[in-house]
Amino acid sequence: MFLQQLITGISIGGIYALLATGYSLIYSLLDFSNWAHGEFAMLGAYFAIVFANMVGLPFMLAALLGVCGGALISFLCEKLVYRHIRSTGAPNMFLMIGAMGLSTIFQQVANLVFTGQYRSFKFKLPVSTIEIAGAYLGVLDLISLVLTAVILVFLIYLINKTKFGLNVRAIACNAGAARVLGVRVDRSIASVFLLAGSLAGVAGILYGMKYNVFPTMGNIGLKAFVASVVGGLGSVPGAIVGSLLLGVLETFVSGYISSSLRDFFSFALLIVLLLVKPSGLFGVDVQDKA
Amino acid sequence: MKKALSLVLMIVLIVALAVPAASAADDTIKIGYIGDLSQSTALWGNAGKFGAMEAIEEINAAGGVLDGKMLELVPMDGKGDSADSVNALRKLITDNGIVAEIGTNFSSCNIPMASVADELKVPIIGTAASNELVTIDEQGNLHPYSFRMCFLDAYIGTVVGTYATKDLGLMKGALFTINGDTNSEAVGQFIEEAYIANGGEFVAKEQCQAGDREFRAQLAKIKKANPDIIFVVMNDYAMNATFAKQAREMDITCMLMGHDGWDSDQLAEEAQGALDGCQFVSRIGFAMPEANDFADKIVEKYGGTKETECLFGRDGVYWIVDAIERAGSADPTAIRDALEATEVYEGLIGQLVMNAETHNPVMACEVFEFSTTEDGAHVKLPVKTVEAVVD
Repeated sequence: MFLQQLITGISIGGIYALLATGYSLIYSLLDFSNWAHGEFAMLGAYFAIVFANMVGLPFMLAALLGVCGGALISFLCEKLVYRHIRSTGAPNMFLMIGAMGLSTIFQQVANLVFTGQYRSFKFKLPVSTIEIAGAYLGVLDLISLVLTAVILVFLIYLINKTKFGLNVRAIACNAGAARVLGVRVDRSIASVFLLAGSLAGVAGILYGMKYNVFPTMGNIGLKAFVASVVGGLGSVPGAIVGSLLLGVLETFVSGYISSSLRDFFSFALLIVLLLVKPSGLFGVDVQDKA
Repeated sequence: MKKALSLVLMIVLIVALAVPAASAADDTIKIGYIGDLSQSTALWGNAGKFGAMEAIEEINAAGGVLDGKMLELVPMDGKGDSADSVNALRKLITDNGIVAEIGTNFSSCNIPMASVADELKVPIIGTAASNELVTIDEQGNLHPYSFRMCFLDAYIGTVVGTYATKDLGLMKGALFTINGDTNSEAVGQFIEEAYIANGGEFVAKEQCQAGDREFRAQLAKIKKANPDIIFVVMNDYAMNATFAKQAREMDITCMLMGHDGWDSDQLAEEAQGALDGCQFVSRIGFAMPEANDFADKIVEKYGGTKETECLFGRDGVYWIVDAIERAGSADPTAIRDALEATEVYEGLIGQLVMNAETHNPVMACEVFEFSTTEDGAHVKLPVKTVEAVVD
């Protein structure tokens, strides 16, 4: 049973990680928590549903367009809303308030367009499992885990080994100095929103395939945010570790204590960590954590 | 003087314009409908609305009620939320002038709506609102203007628990409910009582939270307990389908059994065969060809899926019309009296044996079983009728 719970926890944590890394990337650049990030996942999933179920495109192509849709919405939010707020020199709190507004707007729009009804992809994988030492892992979970792992490894490579990553890290360290040294700050920030939005799109589609697509599914972003704080806001590896930790913790609490106390333990972990190590497990020392 | 004359002329003009409108309004009897028309359970709310619309169209086409008066449905979105549903009811009564209202399918909405109906003296009929407090308050007093068309949590819970032991002989059970969900916990409690009373034993009892999609942590514990049957008491078809798929993925092969909250066509489709051989107990409804014909017509005409709520919407309208004809009046209080005086109502959801003292109907139940056809369609088929138990 222990191994089963561990596998389940890692599987849940994988979805959190795709979203949590987006939170971390944006926080590292702009020092604000993008509360609309969960909605990028939801909109990405709806894009894929429209292309797959209504337009009738092959699932893989529809999923790719869904990822692009999540990225596009994220990019447009930066371009049309966050950049304007930043240009006025307003405090970061305004960015967060703007993000909250966008989150609500996106949920309402999805409700109006698609109604609150659950949607599911016509393309379905068969209900089958793989047995690992007495524990069971669904085929979709396995695909999801492998895909998540590949994406996250690529993301870490991108941040640490490429010029794009160097620019992002430079802006995260000191945006003013980076600009003086020739880094195109706004362009890099827009690229990060594209990247974060596409990660959210992948998370949304995987979530939609495992469960369903519905207007409030972006609320899972709250858990991803907690995971990114636990791991250390602004740290991509921290977000991944925090997500896996949270997924496993939730599963163990549900399995060994009570599912009713699951969220109690998740948020208690957050509070304890903020008291003991405010920068999170991997984070830099920050004063204004969300 | 001129001003006074202008004022008088204006009043005369307004009255002259209003009189024909009032006459037209007098020829129309308005029936309200409240349901979730836009949120996550809009599937049911809209199905009920479409059923009511279709019934009204049929009645109007046949000449209306009370020698030619036309019916009009006034739907309003209660969003599955108690505050929104109460506000919608007040608006329908005070602004729209409805004479009776159908919906919602949620006890959490109909319990506060019952007090408003009593206050404004307009009868309301809950569809699948199964909590006892929908028609009788906490002090045991009847809500005179609140009725329902479904069985109580206690009734369906007892039928399910008894059927599992007496008919299926599955004596080692597990119970899965939603923490804090009134319907889930109440039905679960009555299943448990009936199951134990008939010799069954519970080896696992687990809960999740509303809206959860991950059940594998709890399923791992249930698997270890090795039950013969798992009672899955959740109303959300997406949650039920996910539960079934995760259970099968974890090699849990025992019977999964549900209550009327499983009565959604979407469930069979979403479960992708994971529920094959599993059963649930619900109202007769779709065991009758005429109910299936009506629901098929609704799906063809309005879209969506085949939901029991469309039968509730349809039956609600016909029951109100029956009450209007018997009362010989569309006055809300006269309709209430006639609804209360109903002994037996034959609808597409089944035969309702009404109780004037509680406003609770008793009806026979049907056991449905899921299967996958040769051409790959996932369906539910009626397998057994459980006769009504009238106190």
